[in-house]
Amino acid sequence: MRVLMASVVTAIFAIGVAAKPKDEAPQYKTAEAKHFTTAEGVELSPAFVDYFYAELRAELTKAKLANEVIGEGEAVDDADAPKSLVVSGTISEYKKGNVVKSALIGFGAGFKSLKMDADVVRRSDQQNLCTLHVHVKVDPRWNEKIMAKGAAREMVKEMKKVLTEGMKPA
Amino acid sequence: MSSYWRAKTPVFLRCTLLQPVLFIVAVLTLLASLRAKADEPKPKPENTISIQLGEPIPPQRFEHPPKFWIADVTDRSGSPQPMLVMKERGGLFLDKQPTVILKEAIEQSLKAADLLASDQGSADLVLRLYLFHFGLASGSGLDFFGKVEFSTIVKNAKTRESQEVKAVGTSIASGAFRKKNMQKNVEEDIEAALRDATRNFLRGTQLKEAVTALLKGADGTPAAAPGGGTSPKPTSN
Repeated sequence: MRVLMASVVTAIFAIGVAAKPKDEAPQYKTAEAKHFTTAEGVELSPAFVDYFYAELRAELTKAKLANEVIGEGEAVDDADAPKSLVVSGTISEYKKGNVVKSALIGFGAGFKSLKMDADVVRRSDQQNLCTLHVHVKVDPRWNEKIMAKGAAREMVKEMKKVLTEGMKPA
Repeated sequence: MSSYWRAKTPVFLRCTLLQPVLFIVAVLTLLASLRAKADEPKPKPENTISIQLGEPIPPQRFEHPPKFWIADVTDRSGSPQPMLVMKERGGLFLDKQPTVILKEAIEQSLKAADLLASDQGSADLVLRLYLFHFGLASGSGLDFFGKVEFSTIVKNAKTRESQEVKAVGTSIASGAFRKKNMQKNVEEDIEAALRDATRNFLRGTQLKEAVTALLKGADGTPAAAPGGGTSPKPTSN
């Protein structure tokens, strides 16, 4: 009985270890995030753009998409350029939201809304690797920086998904 | 009511009643002002952090490596207390002026790469730094947002031509409830932002272009875009 129990426990452990995803090496050497520009009519403070830039870099580092996440305008070795990404984009729409509407109606009504478009290009030849559209909605009572956090997370998640699929052989 | 009180109460009694009231109001005002003064955080060893670069940042490779010299660092943050990082929770202070920390960080990295001149006279390019932000910036409230932003006037010592190079470093660290953890996280956060800003400056394409243009100017060819040596204005925060 003890032997049986021990073998069952060992088997479960072995399955668990096998199921754990392996730490894959990052696909790219460097990733550079640029400050996003704001479209005309978007009423967001420059502090928001700064914070979003920092969050985007933090998320890119966490996602392990590249060996190194570099700052805006940093030089990259020519040898590394074909395996380097540049992320730039525009905040296309921002709606402030309405607290009263959100409290009275609920179900997402009156939420703050943010729409962004991002382009991921290869550094060496400026070839577009993917174009992303992110739409984030948050409670109007929340700080706009929390919205930046959510948007950065969503963007990197989408980016990783698209780039990983793109790297797979057809 | 007041006219009735005035009519019924003699003048001498009115004065004797008013005086203690005025005295109490004065005492309370004094106490409130003293308390407000006591709430102002003061630097103590337990609420002071030390920011260091750690390992020097290797600068980019230049075609003709110049010798740099940091002439001075000017604080343009506009903060009345540049060493105060955080006012809440008893305050958090830096052990040195931000300008000193930044100067040391850049000098350390230039020296490690043998790009630092021994004195201003022997330098090819003289750097004047203008610090716009050092420390924490407004974040989401759930974390700490560290930011170091500065601008540099790179000046050719011989031709007197100059160019501006901007650098910014950011870092986001997780928030903390315990004061000890908070201090640790803030220290790491600002150190990471300082490293990032130093790297952004030393490995930036702006510096490369400035060095190329200014040294080209020294060879006899005119520089690409001389900056004129005026102090830069802070960028939008």
